[in-house]
Amino acid sequence: MDLLNDLFRSPPWEAMRVGLHLAFALALLFWLWQALRLRAAVSLRHLARPRAWLLPAVGLLTLALVAILTYQATWQLGGMARPQFIAFMQLHDRRQFNPAHWVQRGRILDRRGRVLAESHNRDGAAERVYPYGPVFAHAVGYADPRFGLSGIEAIANRALNGATLQSLGDWGELGRQVLTQSKRPRGQDLVTTLDAELQQLAVKRIAAAKPVGRGAVVILRPTDGAVLVLASVPGFDPNRLQPTVFTGADATNPLMNRATQGQYPPGSSFKVVLAAQALETGFHGRLDCPAEGYTTSSRYRPIRDHEYYEAKRAGRAWAGHGPLDLSTALAKSSNVFFAQLGILGGHRAFAATGQRFSFNRSIAFVGGPSGTLRLQSARLEPIPERDRYGLAQAAIGQGRVTATPAYMALIAAAIANEGVAMRPRLLRDRPPETLTRFMSADTARRLRVMLRGAVSEGTGRGIETDGLEIAGKTGTAENPQGASHSWFIGFAPASAPRLAFAVLVEHGGYGSTVAAPIARDLLLKAAEQGL
Amino acid sequence: MMSRVTPTNLEDFWRLRAPERQLLLWALLIALLGYLMLLGAQTKEGLDVRLSALIPLLVFMGAFVSAHLSLVLARFRGDQLLLPVTALLSAIGLMAQARTGLLGAGALHGSKLALLPLGVALMLTITIAGRQGRYRLAARATWVWGVFSLLLMALVLVTGQRYRGAVYGLGLITPTELLKLTMVLFTAAFVDQHIKRLSRWRGLLPPLAPHWRLLLVWGALLSMLLLQRDLGLVLILGLTLIAVLAAGTRQPGYLLYGLVLGGAAGAVLIRFFSHGLSRVEVWMNPFTDPTGAGWQVLQGLSGMYAGGLWGEGFSEARPRYTPIAESDLIYAVWAEELGFAGSLLLLLLFAVLLTRLLTLAARARTPFGLMAATGVATVLSVQTVLNVGGVTKALPLTGITLPLISHGGSSLLTVFASLGLVLAISDGEPVKSRAKTSAPKVAPKASKTSKATNMPDVYRVGYGLRRKGGVKPVKSSPQ
Repeated sequence: MDLLNDLFRSPPWEAMRVGLHLAFALALLFWLWQALRLRAAVSLRHLARPRAWLLPAVGLLTLALVAILTYQATWQLGGMARPQFIAFMQLHDRRQFNPAHWVQRGRILDRRGRVLAESHNRDGAAERVYPYGPVFAHAVGYADPRFGLSGIEAIANRALNGATLQSLGDWGELGRQVLTQSKRPRGQDLVTTLDAELQQLAVKRIAAAKPVGRGAVVILRPTDGAVLVLASVPGFDPNRLQPTVFTGADATNPLMNRATQGQYPPGSSFKVVLAAQALETGFHGRLDCPAEGYTTSSRYRPIRDHEYYEAKRAGRAWAGHGPLDLSTALAKSSNVFFAQLGILGGHRAFAATGQRFSFNRSIAFVGGPSGTLRLQSARLEPIPERDRYGLAQAAIGQGRVTATPAYMALIAAAIANEGVAMRPRLLRDRPPETLTRFMSADTARRLRVMLRGAVSEGTGRGIETDGLEIAGKTGTAENPQGASHSWFIGFAPASAPRLAFAVLVEHGGYGSTVAAPIARDLLLKAAEQGL
Repeated sequence: MMSRVTPTNLEDFWRLRAPERQLLLWALLIALLGYLMLLGAQTKEGLDVRLSALIPLLVFMGAFVSAHLSLVLARFRGDQLLLPVTALLSAIGLMAQARTGLLGAGALHGSKLALLPLGVALMLTITIAGRQGRYRLAARATWVWGVFSLLLMALVLVTGQRYRGAVYGLGLITPTELLKLTMVLFTAAFVDQHIKRLSRWRGLLPPLAPHWRLLLVWGALLSMLLLQRDLGLVLILGLTLIAVLAAGTRQPGYLLYGLVLGGAAGAVLIRFFSHGLSRVEVWMNPFTDPTGAGWQVLQGLSGMYAGGLWGEGFSEARPRYTPIAESDLIYAVWAEELGFAGSLLLLLLFAVLLTRLLTLAARARTPFGLMAATGVATVLSVQTVLNVGGVTKALPLTGITLPLISHGGSSLLTVFASLGLVLAISDGEPVKSRAKTSAPKVAPKASKTSKATNMPDVYRVGYGLRRKGGVKPVKSSPQ
């Protein structure tokens, strides 16, 4: 016995242990072979001939066992391809030797190769690090053993865990891991379409905006849907996730992705939708826009232009715009004009426009290997036929209509792309997909000219910059929570758009003075980078 | 017509059973290797190996060596593969249970140690008592098995304790395990008695009249089992009933109707049993409640994933994170420690055992033997498939033990008893007694027609029980 104990404690035992296991397995195989070989010897001559059902019965049994083993292999050997399973083990498996704890998740890179997320080894366990902290909290998301996955970390989980088996090489790698029981499976790096510099600037500017420093910025390429900036402020630090992040549900909640999920009244920026509707339905001519405004019934407060309020505040008189055409009305952002335009078009045309623009939908981004991000479009309950005032209000982006910044950016992008909205895309290697056509190419071209006019000589002229050729629409959205939300959506350069954007600053005030300059600075930065 | 001399004296039987001996010795060697691996791992945990640690192995070896010797002494000419493969699977069960800590230091209780030799002794008793056709005595006791099953079930229902969502039994003994044998015997005996009427179908319809007593007993039993919420056992027994009926009467229609009716009943029942429904839901998507209902199967799978293809081997990292490791999830423990390769070997052994059981059933010489063996083979096959399938999430987890491997006295003893029965059946019929049957002239003719017409009556060849004295079979039956 002492001999045995000494043997087990001696250094060569480790090698012997492996050899013993091997011998055990080989002996079992030998036994099986022998059992087959000795079949003749153990044949049962004194028994009856086998009944006909023996073969099918044995076949069925074999089939069942083979099926079970095959299925078992998809977990035991191919468990890497089950992201939920890996996540479960990373959370709940206390076996130290479980490879799930050693997964070196791939890095997440921005379009220029800057690292947005990477894994380090610390004390034997893999630790996820986000160099930019809160800046990419919503877009990149987090991968945390306690809180699970979100953002790109979630939609590309399988690739990051090294689980997408697309090429022969991937299968070879899986085979190598299975055979060698590699304890450090390594995931694939993932290149996104995001631009770290632009995103950083966007977050910085929104956070600095008065009075609350909350808002969102979305910048994307109209031609292929590549998202360069997807910023939501405030963020949270994915390096230091706390349970408290997940509990707050009020307006200040940093967990909410304001860019894709935040529903805000779009205000005047929504007028581009009405303008598109008018162009599509063949509207031309002028509408009278008097100073006393427009209302559908004397019981309701008239809808007036902002110049009226400015003049009133300054103690001046204002004569009103008089007759306006569509282009000028858009440039001047006349509420009176668009309220009338909405009523003129009628409920049915407005509902059809909503349909065409994918209102009340959840729009999927181009999918990742294990899921997809989604953005909410505009939200608008159907307006009853008798509610004409509601229609007039919706026509100027107030009342019952709300929209997310990402959706407004999508509209701007569609105008810039001959009326076609491309599906937003975060992963560089995913091919572009067409989402839908929002308007005809002709309408889009004419709107492009009008929106350029809105910046060169309309409400946005404060940000007119040589060489940028910005086209866009400001928005100043009244809301019950406080000061107006400040919007600016558009694209640049107007003649051949390369970038489309939407900027929202919560309670920022005028779109022309708060959101628009942020957009301009971002475009300047982009231009520096040759975008 | 061959005239092979049938072994008569002990020497002949010693030689006859050489293949069994050879396979058994190899099995014991494999057990020794496995046990060394086991002890080595124990040392890694800082424990000294004491002489007493060898006791389970010695007991195991002693049991199976004496089993072989007993069979030779009893001039047993039945199957030679069943004993060695049972020994191998028992050895694996021993190792797996040692790994879950059941046979570790301090856990070496007499009762646990005695279980294996007790099971082997039970198997031998049944084999030797039932050899040379005497097992057919069991067919005369139809209603003993039926009434015993019902009473047992009623007793469990009244006194049983609830454990893991189902009523299991008296303390930690699960008497319902016994039903797997007694119901097989009841069904086989009943069908044996009414085989002609049961085989006579009217077109596509089975005869209903002769069935009612059978259906009454089965209906009462299954509803009591359902009350008890032992869905796994309902499944095992239900499939067994169908298989026995179909094999005995040679009417595949029983299989068809049984599966269709059983499937429909199952689909309806599962809606009324929250217990069953939740198990199915957990099976379909364990990740909706990973730390609750999905925990067991997911932890088992995690262990298996950690084991990978080759496993860590028996080492210091004990599989202590797998829930109910020693019984239901023991397959996961094995697959974790010895990897996918190890579980493949284990399932190959099971395939050998189950195929052999099916073969012996399909070659039995009497309808009763055929049905009893078919019943045992079906019970063990379904049990194996349900357990392994449940652990690997290929099927819903039903809380069924893995034959011969899982810890559990009632289960183990029932399995050994069932194997003993099949061994007895594999011994065939006494050849000499044929001369004493009432229709000696019909017999040889019938044996020839047996292959041609497939008439159940030909089973009557050699019918007749020896009431006393050893039987000395002189010649093998003409084939």
